[in-house]
Amino acid sequence: MGAVYLPSQYGLLLLPLANVQVKAGDKLRITCRYSHLGKAESQTLYAAIGNSGWAGFDEVLHASKTISVPEDASWNYREDYVDISITTAISAGFYDLYAKIGGTIPKVISPTLLDVVEVLGQIPESQFGEISITGYAKV
Amino acid sequence: MAQYADIIEIVAPAEAAQGSRVDITVRVKNTYSAAIGIMVGGALEYGVSPWPGISFPAPSANVAGGATYSFSGYFTMPDKKVTIHAYSYWYGTDGSWYFDDEMTKVVNLFSVPESQFGSIEITSYERR
Repeated sequence: MGAVYLPSQYGLLLLPLANVQVKAGDKLRITCRYSHLGKAESQTLYAAIGNSGWAGFDEVLHASKTISVPEDASWNYREDYVDISITTAISAGFYDLYAKIGGTIPKVISPTLLDVVEVLGQIPESQFGEISITGYAKV
Repeated sequence: MAQYADIIEIVAPAEAAQGSRVDITVRVKNTYSAAIGIMVGGALEYGVSPWPGISFPAPSANVAGGATYSFSGYFTMPDKKVTIHAYSYWYGTDGSWYFDDEMTKVVNLFSVPESQFGSIEITSYERR
């Protein structure tokens, strides 16, 4: 179960978040809400799965797409999503999520959601280990 | 100083976007002791000649002595700031309109600021 710290009038609130289970071959759709003001422009919406640590966010998988933001004469909230393909490049375990808008120098970065993605291990090929007789009767 | 038709206020927005309709109100006080006919007119100063006019659907009214009357008008915002010139006239017993007062007010051009993003948050994540 992941969680995120949110500022509030009572200080930081720890908001528990449900995690999502994925495995290789799946896609993880990350939906973001952002605020915008001013002229129309195209920007990159970027999201990544990885591990947040003292040295920053260690990305394992990521995806991005170009979003076209229309002109906003006043602050407006908008929503869009990006799909991250889950590949075998990521091993089983719990991972964190974050998103941003912009390139190398992001314009805004989301709070990191901790341990919200559980990557399941690969299900092995079918194999039989042993067999034993558990009963014998006249039928 | 106006003789009878004293313009006391032009009500207009401080700024407007190019091409938008700008509604204004010109408030005129009849300073005469009895009712008189009062008319308003207006023009826009922003570097073109002649100055375009301001539309007043009902430009004149009989106004009681000492009363203030509001005349509604509108214009289309050009591509630069404008100075509204409002004029008042009173109706004489000889059947003529006499120019009386003038007031001006500036409406600045609203410009959309450069694009900026305030915040972003992840609202959901789901397997597809």
